Amino acid sequence: MAKGFVAILAGLLISLNVWAGEHGQPLEKANNDLRDKASLQRGAVLFSNYCQACHSIKYMRYNRIARDLGWTDDEVVQKIAHGLNKPTDAVLARGDLKAISKVLGTTPPDLSLMARRKGPDYIYSFLLGYFEKDPNKGVWDNHYLPGTAMPNVLEDKYRFADEKVRQQTARDLANFLEYVGEPIKLYRQSLGWKVLLFLFVFFIIAYLLKKEYWRDVK
Amino acid sequence: MAEHNSHTSEFEKPGTLLQWLDKRLPLVETWNEHVGQYYAPKNFNFWYYFGSLALLVLVNQFVTGIWLTMSYKPSAAEAFNSIEYIMRDVEWGWLIRYMHSTGASAFFIVVYLHMFRGIMYGSYKQPRELVWIIGMLIFLVLMGEAFMGYLLPWGQMSYWGAQVIISLFGAIPVVGPDLATWIRGDYVISDATLNRFFALHVIALPLVLLILVFLHIVALHRVGSNNPDGVDIKKVKGPDGTPLDGIPFHPYYSVKDTVGAVAFAFLFAVIVFYFPEGGGFFLESPNFEPANPLKTPPHIAPVWYFTPFYAILRAIPDKFFGVVAMGAAIGVLFLLPWLDRCPVRSIRYRGTSFKLLLTMFTVSFLALGYLGTQPATPTLTKLAQLFTAGYFLFFILLPFTSKHEQCKPVPTRVTYHG
Amino acid sequence: MSETKTVEVNLKRRRMLVAATGVMGATAATFLATPFVASWQPSERARALGAPVDVDISKLAPGQLVTVNWRGKPVWVLHRTEEMLATLPKVEPHLRDPESNESVQPDYCKNRHRSIKPEIFVAVGVCTHLGCSPLFKPEPHDAELGSDWPGGFFCPCHGSRFDLAGRVFKSVPAPINLEIPPHHYRIDTLIRVGEDPKEGGQA
Repeated sequence: MAKGFVAILAGLLISLNVWAGEHGQPLEKANNDLRDKASLQRGAVLFSNYCQACHSIKYMRYNRIARDLGWTDDEVVQKIAHGLNKPTDAVLARGDLKAISKVLGTTPPDLSLMARRKGPDYIYSFLLGYFEKDPNKGVWDNHYLPGTAMPNVLEDKYRFADEKVRQQTARDLANFLEYVGEPIKLYRQSLGWKVLLFLFVFFIIAYLLKKEYWRDVK
Repeated sequence: MAEHNSHTSEFEKPGTLLQWLDKRLPLVETWNEHVGQYYAPKNFNFWYYFGSLALLVLVNQFVTGIWLTMSYKPSAAEAFNSIEYIMRDVEWGWLIRYMHSTGASAFFIVVYLHMFRGIMYGSYKQPRELVWIIGMLIFLVLMGEAFMGYLLPWGQMSYWGAQVIISLFGAIPVVGPDLATWIRGDYVISDATLNRFFALHVIALPLVLLILVFLHIVALHRVGSNNPDGVDIKKVKGPDGTPLDGIPFHPYYSVKDTVGAVAFAFLFAVIVFYFPEGGGFFLESPNFEPANPLKTPPHIAPVWYFTPFYAILRAIPDKFFGVVAMGAAIGVLFLLPWLDRCPVRSIRYRGTSFKLLLTMFTVSFLALGYLGTQPATPTLTKLAQLFTAGYFLFFILLPFTSKHEQCKPVPTRVTYHG
Repeated sequence: MSETKTVEVNLKRRRMLVAATGVMGATAATFLATPFVASWQPSERARALGAPVDVDISKLAPGQLVTVNWRGKPVWVLHRTEEMLATLPKVEPHLRDPESNESVQPDYCKNRHRSIKPEIFVAVGVCTHLGCSPLFKPEPHDAELGSDWPGGFFCPCHGSRFDLAGRVFKSVPAPINLEIPPHHYRIDTLIRVGEDPKEGGQA
C-alpha cells in the first residue's frame, strides 16, 4: 500500500516541477546571495540612487533595512535617505508619482514584493535586458518586457562600464529586492534546521515509546 | 462501583476533584468510551494516520487563524497591506501566517489520503455509510472554507480565482446571474464580498466544521473502526467481552499517532521554513500583487487542491454542463456506499475489476489535478476529457462490476505480524 | 519468575519513555506558544509610531509649556521660571512622594526638580489616577483652586493636584507623581523624548 502512496507523492512532485514560467524569454540566473551583506548594502545604495526616484518599497522602513544590513540608524539615513528621512519612515518614492505617471503613461509599481512576484532572476534579466532600438536617438526597449515604459536607468552602466560591473549592479539590485520581498527569509531558514533537529529527536523518543507499548500487542 | 442509595448521599461524599467533576459531567465515561476503552483493530497500517493528522491540522488552522484575525483587516482597501503588516511588522506574524497557508494545503493532502484509504478498504460500507456521508460533508465545507479563505489576502489570484468560481453560479439557468450578484453583494467582487467571506471563513464555516467533525467521530465510535482487512473485529470476542483483535485506543494508538504527528510536524516544518510558497502551489506568485479589477493575470489556476474539479469543469465545452459535471464529480462521491455492491470491504480480498477501476480512478484524479494547473491548450483539453471520462467511469461501472465481483475469501481474524 | 522480571524491566523503561516523551511534548508546546504570545507585543509599526520625537526648545520662553505627541500620549515640555522653581521646596511638606521614591522616572530625573536641567521640565501629561490629562495652572492663588495654590497641574476629572515638578499632593486620588519619560538633549535646544541618553551622561 505504501507503493500507492509513493505514486501519489510522485504525481504531486511531478506537477510541482513542471510549473511553467510566464515569461517567453528564458531568464538569466542572478546567482545572488542573501547572505552577502556587502552586496545587499550596495544594492540598497543603488536602489536609492537609481530606482527610488520613481519606485517605492513601501512595506520597508529605513530602520529595518539598517538592522538587517548591519547599519546604524544614522548610517541608513545618510547612505540611502540622503539625510532627508527619519529612520522609522517607510521607504517611499522620492519623485511626485502623479507627475511621473503623466510623463511615462503609467504609475511605477511598488517594488516591495516584485522579487516574490517575479523572482530575482527576472529582476536581474530585466535590468540587463535593455537594448538600443535607435542608437541615434537613445531609444531603449527591453527583451523581457517589450514596450516597457521604464527608461533604461542604468544607461551609464551600459555605455561606460564593462559587462562585469553591469552584471554586478543588476545582481546587487536583485539581491536587495529579494531581501525586501521577504526580510525574514534568512532568519526563517536559520531557525528551520533547529526546529527540524528538535522534531527529529522528538520523533526518535516517540518511536521508542510506541515500540515499547506495542510489544504487548501480539 | 458502589451502589448509591440516594443522589444526595452520593453527592455529599467528599472526594477528589475528579470525582467532584465526574458526578456533574460524564468525564470518565466519555474518556473510556472514546479513548481508554475504545477498542480499535490492532492491524491499522500507514494509511490510518491521516484521520488523527486531519484533526491536528484542524487545530493548527483554528489557532493560527484566530491569531491572524488579530491583525488582519477585512476590507478591500486594507486587506493586502494588513497581510504584509503581519508578514513584516507583527512579531512572529510570518510564522503564524505560513503555518496557516501551509496548513490549508496540508489539510487537503491529508484529507485526500484519508478518503483514498476509505475507498481502498471499503470504510464507507455498511454499517459506516453515515461516517462516510458526514466525512463528505466535512470535505464540502472544507472546500468552501478554503475557497473563501483564499480571497482574504486580496491578491490578484484571490480576486480572479473568486471571480471565476462565483461566475460558475451564473451558469445556473434562470436564477444564475442574480444568484452570482447576490453572493458577491455587488456587481463585481468587492469590499462587500470580502467582508462576508471573512465572516463565513472565520466563524460560520469553522463552527459547522467543528460540529461535523464531532459527529464524524461519534458516528465512527458507534459502529467501530474498519481496518485494512475489512474484518469486523466485534465478531470475535474474548472472555472479557472485548474484541480479540482490538486494542484500547489509549495507550496503543495514542502513542502510535504521536509518532505520526511528530513525523508530520517534521514535514510540515520543512515546508514552512524552507518552501513556504510550495513551489508556487501553496502561495501562488500572482498573489503577491494586490487585486486589480481591471487587469487579469495571464494564467489563472485555482489552488492545487481544486484543480481536479476545475479540470473537469474546463473539459466540458458547455458552461452549464461544465458546472453540472463539476458538481456531479463531488456529489457522486456521496453515493459511493450504494454504488459499490460488493460485500467484501478491503481491496486485499476484492476482485481484479475493482482494483482496475480504482487504479483508473486514481490515475484520472491525479492527471486531472495536473491538467487543472496548466493552460487549456486543445491537446490538454482532449486529455482532460479523457480523464474526466475515466473519473466518472469508475462510478458508472462500479455498480455492475461489484455485483458480480470474484472476491477472495475474507478471513475471520485480522492479519497482523507483530 | 522470569516473566515477572521482564515485565518489571519493561515498566521501568516504559515510565522513562513516557516521561521523556512528556518532556519533549511540553518543550514543543512551550516553543510553539512563544510566537503566539510574542505576537501580542507592540508591532514594528507601533514601535515606529512610538519612536522618539524631537522637541525644539530654542523658542520656548520662560513660563511657557508645549505639548508634543509621543506614543499617542501628551508630553509636556515646560520652561520653568525662577519663581516657579522657588515653589518646589516650599510645597514639599504637602506632597505624598516628594523624593519620588514610589514614582516612575529615569534615574537622571530622580531629584527635587525631576528634570535634567532644573528649568526645563519634561513629563508625560497623563494623570496617574485614571489617565486624564491634567490642566496647566501655573498662577498661584487660583480662584478655583484656593488661595494656597502654589501653581502646578490640576486634573479636572477627579481633582488630583500636582506641583510644578509633577509631584502629587497629599489627599488627592492620584497615587504617585506624574511619569517622566526617558529623554536627553541632542544639542542644547533640542530634546529627544523617548530615548535615554547614550552612556549615562546628560549628552
